[in-house]
Amino acid sequence: MIEPFLEVRNAQKNFGPTTVLDGVTLGVTKGEFVSLLGPSGCGKTTLLRIIAGLTGADVGDVRLDRQDITKLPPHKRDVGVVFQNYALFPHLSVLENISFGLKGRVAKDEATRIAGRFLELVHMRDFADRSVRALSGGQQQRVAVARALAVAPKLLLLDEPFSALDRKLRETMQIELKRLLRELGTTAIFVTHDQDEALVMSDRIAVMNQGRIEQLDTPEALYQNPATSFALQFVGLSTRIFGEVIGQQDGNGILIETRHGVIRAQGNFVRGSKVVIGVRPERISLGAHEGQNSITPQLTDIVFQGARVQVHFASTENEPIILESSARLPASLAPGEAVSISWAPEDTLVFPREASA
Amino acid sequence: MKTDRSLVGWLAAPAVFYLTIVYALPLGWLLARSMMGPDGFSLILFKEFFADPFSWRVIGNTLRIAGLVTILCLVMGYPVAFALARARGVVQVILLAAIILPLSIGVVVKAFAWQIVLRRDGVVSQFLVGIGVWSEPQRLLFTETGLVVGAANVFLPFMILPIYSVVKLIDPRLMEAGATLGVGPVSRFFRILFLLTLPGIVSGIAFVFSLSVSMFVIPSLLIGDRFQTLATLTGRSFLLMRNEALGSVTATVLLVLAVTIVLVSSFLARRAGRFA
Repeated sequence: MIEPFLEVRNAQKNFGPTTVLDGVTLGVTKGEFVSLLGPSGCGKTTLLRIIAGLTGADVGDVRLDRQDITKLPPHKRDVGVVFQNYALFPHLSVLENISFGLKGRVAKDEATRIAGRFLELVHMRDFADRSVRALSGGQQQRVAVARALAVAPKLLLLDEPFSALDRKLRETMQIELKRLLRELGTTAIFVTHDQDEALVMSDRIAVMNQGRIEQLDTPEALYQNPATSFALQFVGLSTRIFGEVIGQQDGNGILIETRHGVIRAQGNFVRGSKVVIGVRPERISLGAHEGQNSITPQLTDIVFQGARVQVHFASTENEPIILESSARLPASLAPGEAVSISWAPEDTLVFPREASA
Repeated sequence: MKTDRSLVGWLAAPAVFYLTIVYALPLGWLLARSMMGPDGFSLILFKEFFADPFSWRVIGNTLRIAGLVTILCLVMGYPVAFALARARGVVQVILLAAIILPLSIGVVVKAFAWQIVLRRDGVVSQFLVGIGVWSEPQRLLFTETGLVVGAANVFLPFMILPIYSVVKLIDPRLMEAGATLGVGPVSRFFRILFLLTLPGIVSGIAFVFSLSVSMFVIPSLLIGDRFQTLATLTGRSFLLMRNEALGSVTATVLLVLAVTIVLVSSFLARRAGRFA
C-alpha cells in the first residue's frame, strides 16, 4: 500500500488530568478533503493544532509528504491554517495580508502578482487596499483562505471557518471553497461540529469522540454503515431503541427484546448483550408489513419539511423514534394516536450499548 | 428623548474653568515673562541663554537622562507588559498589584529609598562586589547611572501600562497565523507584534519621556546640585536664585522640547501603524 500523504500515528495529548487525544491515527491521501467531525471537546481542534505544529503531542508522530515533521516548528512545516476567527493582521491591508507569507520567499513583484491572483480567485480584487477591519465576515473568510493558499502549502487545515457566517452565506462559501481547493488540487483537513457541512464537503469524514476517531469513511458509508452507536447518533437522524439480545435465529440473525417488543436483526451478539438498535428514518415505513420488524408507538409530531415529512413518536431523549417519508401521509394521522410502523431486519443496525449511551 | 448635543459640552466647563485658572494662566504668564526684555517684548533672554555653553550642557543633561530612562523603561517594561497580558488569574492580579501599588508611594519616599540602596555600602554595591563584578565597594549615589536607575524604577509603570493595554487586545492567534504562513519567529515579531504594539510603545515613551525630562525631586535627591537639568535649573532659578528671567526661559525651553518630542513620536507611530 502506498504511504498516505499525511499520516498521524498514535497521537496522544493530555492537558493536565484531561485526556484530549487518546491515540489518534489518521491517513490522508494527496488531494483529498477530509473532515474531522465531532462535538466540542472531542479533540478535533487539538488534532488540527498538532498537525500544524501549534501544539506538541505528548506521544505520536506526524509525517507529511514522506517527511517526519513531528519535531518541526510550524513555520517550517508547509501547513497552512485558516483559523476559526480568521486571525487576519489588523494592521495590514487585504493585499498585504495575502502577501504576508510571500515576502522574503519570492521577489516583491512576484509576491504582489501571486497575491493578486489569489485575490481574484476569492473574488476580492476590488478590496485589495482596504483595511481588513472594514470587511464583513464572509469577506474576511475569503481573505483568510487566500492568505493561507497563497504560500502554496502542502496541506491546508481549516478550523470551523464557517461557524461565524449565517446559513445562506455559509452554503455559498462551502461550495466556493470546495471548488477552489479542487482547482488547486490542495489536500485539506477541515474541522467542524456540523454534520451537514461535513457531509456536503468531504471526500471522507473522521467522526471523533472523546479523543478518538470512531470511524473514518466516505459520507455515504458513514451514513449507511455507522461503525459505532456514536457515529450513528452524530451523523444524520436515526431511530434508536435500547434492548437486550435474547436469542439466535437461523442464519446469523438475532432476536432483541425491547420495550416495543421483540425485534429481529442481523449480527453476532452473545445472548444477554445490552445493545442499541438503530434505524435510519427513511428506512421506516407506515403500517405493519409481513416479515418486517413492526412496532406501534404513539405519534407525537408531524413536521413538514417541503420535499419530505418527518414523523416523531413518543420516546425518551436517548431513544428517539423518527420516520421520514417523501410520500404524502394519510390525512387520518394525528398526534396522540398509536401508529404501526415497520422496517426490514436488514435495515436494523445493532451496536453494543456503551456505558455512557 | 431629545438631547441637545451642544449642551453636553458645558459638562466640561468646571474642569476647563479650573485648569484655566490654575494652569493655563500661570503658564501663559511664564511664557510671557520669558519673552520680556528691559523695554517690552524681546527674545534677548533666549539669546543670552543659548549663547551660554552651560545652558547647552544642561539641555544635554536633560535629554540624555530622559532618553536613557525612557530606553531603560522600554527595554524592561516591554516584556513585562506581555507577561502581564498573558498571565491569568491570581498571577495577573499579583503582577498588576506589583506594578500599580508602588505608584501610591510618594516620589520623595522612593528617592530616599534609592539613596540607601545606591550608597557605597548599599545593597547594589555589596551585591556587585559579592559576585565579583566590582573589586571594591563603589558609590552609585550622586552618579548619572544612579539617577537613571532610580528614575527608571519610578517611571516604569508608565511604560508598562500603556503597552499592556494594547497587548491585551492582540489576538495570540495572529502570531500562530504568521507561523503557519512560514514566517520565522524574529521576523514574525517585528512584522506583527511590534507593529501592533507601536501605539502602546509610543504612549509609553511619551509618558516616561515627558515625566523624566521634567522630573525635579528625583535628580535633586539622587544626584544633587552639581548636575543640572532644565527642570532642576528652573527650580533653582525660582526658589534659590530668585532669577525669574532665567527660570521662565528654562521652563519654556523644557516645555517646547517635551511637546516636540511627544508630537514627533506620535506622528511617526501613526505613519508606521497605518491601520493600527
